[in-house]
Amino acid sequence: MIDTALFLLVDGLTNGLIYALLALSLVLVFTVTRVVNIAQGEYVMLGALTLADLLQGRMPGTLYLLIGGLALCILLDAGRWRRDWRGALLFATGLIAVAIAAALITRMALSLHFPVIAMMAVALLLVAPLGVLIYRFTVHPIPDASTIVFVIISVGVSMAVQGLGLLIWGASPYPVEPIAAGGLMAGPVFIPYQAIAIMVVALLSMGGLYLFSEHTLIGKALQASAMNRLGAQFCGIPVNLAGGLAFLLAAAFSALSGMLLAPLITANYEMGFMVGLKGFVGAAMGGLADYPLSLAGVMIVGGLESTSAYLASAYRDVLVFSLLIPILLWRNARQRVETR
Amino acid sequence: MTKLLEVSALTVGYGEAVALDAISFDVARGEFITFIGPNGAGKTTLLNSLMGVLRQKSGTVSFKGEDLGTLKPETRVARGIVIVPERRELFPQLSVEDHLRLGAFLRRREGRAILDAGLERIYALLPKLKERRRQLAGTLSGGEQQMVAVGRALMAEPQLLMLDEPSTGLAPRITEEIFEAIARLKADGMTAIIVEQNAHLAFSVADRGFVLEVGNVVASGAADELRQDPRVLAAYLGAGDRYRDA
Repeated sequence: MIDTALFLLVDGLTNGLIYALLALSLVLVFTVTRVVNIAQGEYVMLGALTLADLLQGRMPGTLYLLIGGLALCILLDAGRWRRDWRGALLFATGLIAVAIAAALITRMALSLHFPVIAMMAVALLLVAPLGVLIYRFTVHPIPDASTIVFVIISVGVSMAVQGLGLLIWGASPYPVEPIAAGGLMAGPVFIPYQAIAIMVVALLSMGGLYLFSEHTLIGKALQASAMNRLGAQFCGIPVNLAGGLAFLLAAAFSALSGMLLAPLITANYEMGFMVGLKGFVGAAMGGLADYPLSLAGVMIVGGLESTSAYLASAYRDVLVFSLLIPILLWRNARQRVETR
Repeated sequence: MTKLLEVSALTVGYGEAVALDAISFDVARGEFITFIGPNGAGKTTLLNSLMGVLRQKSGTVSFKGEDLGTLKPETRVARGIVIVPERRELFPQLSVEDHLRLGAFLRRREGRAILDAGLERIYALLPKLKERRRQLAGTLSGGEQQMVAVGRALMAEPQLLMLDEPSTGLAPRITEEIFEAIARLKADGMTAIIVEQNAHLAFSVADRGFVLEVGNVVASGAADELRQDPRVLAAYLGAGDRYRDA
């Protein structure tokens, strides 16, 4: 009995931390850009499949997505050539340099057979910039659109990216190597090394984000843009770049989450949506705006998921998503108390 | 010599309604000008449009001889135009010192020593900010928040400072403190546009003034002349009908 409880605790914690990276991404994106990013989970899928490709020695399709996106970005900038050709040239050269660097790094990683951790870093380099590209294509042109417009757009992005995933990787699942195989016995419970790796990586990245936003000027500028967009503009903070940065970091965190999760469940083109929604349920507890509350939320989601998988596995997802109802009731009650 | 700021026939509107009707004026370096007028006269609209928050319908605004066109607010800050907005637009969860450092966001490559010296100058000008420097802006009083907004704007080292109703909602003592700081900035050679409902205060620091009513300039001139103008006296300096009977 105790053994089972402990096992479920470890399992819940692992799940929770994976969703935590996602919740973090959602909060970051929402606070800075007011986008409720339904497509956030797709970076999970991209991260996992890119890592699968790299570990099996294939050129990841993500590289072509990245290069295509960068090319589209240069095309969208075409209008600037007439007004400011120097700036436009610099911009285009920069993007081409990014594309070449990404291709070279990927080649090098494949020919040198990097270890898993290094491959994760390479996958991160390929996936994270896609966040900025998607920001550029969808949010940047209409910064003042309403929240609901952004929700619809992000549903569209989610479908499109999933379609691209299906096109590139097909429908079959890909196994992904864990960072370290095996595990250790802690008293009566077996803790896989991957679970430990998930905890370490998740905590490190959350700590990193915290240090970045509290102890660097750019981090503070990002917070400022989240709290008061106009005020940030009056400080000379380019809020568009802040939005791009938020999308970049969020894509990186979500991709990381996918790479940590994939060894547990295998990677496939439609894995992201579900994970994204579960991160969303957790982040809803913090109103998509409060980091600590969102973390508490995803931990509850993780715990509930592993307990219900054990007790009533057929209803696992039903139970997890039903959690949204008490969460919303609780937030509503809390808000009433605050406004009173 | 070209003026620092030249505004000609600036027209701004919200939809069909015209909020500013072909306003023209200029500001020389080192000059303090003020716009006074009742609520809804277009004072805040004027500053917001100079800042690039509102887009103009027609007319031109040029700063240091360059047309500002449709530049975004953050680009205008980079050019040297900085606003202390009416609603202050602070970051409630950030400390006073964070605000000041963010005010100098565009100067971030100038090095720690220069920025720290800038910070000390602000603390010397507005000593209350130093006491409160670790406090979150959301927990400050209205007057302290106004000081943060002023300090944040100054950290950008503006060439043109725009103050939107700096006295609104503040206790007289705090207002006095803020206007003392403004007077010191003027003595140091700052250029500024002040928008105020309190004409007494505005004229105490301004060289020239404009009276704005429903989007039009109805009177203008040197501050000393304007404060003798019977219309201004009647409407804005409290010597009007209300007191005549008494």
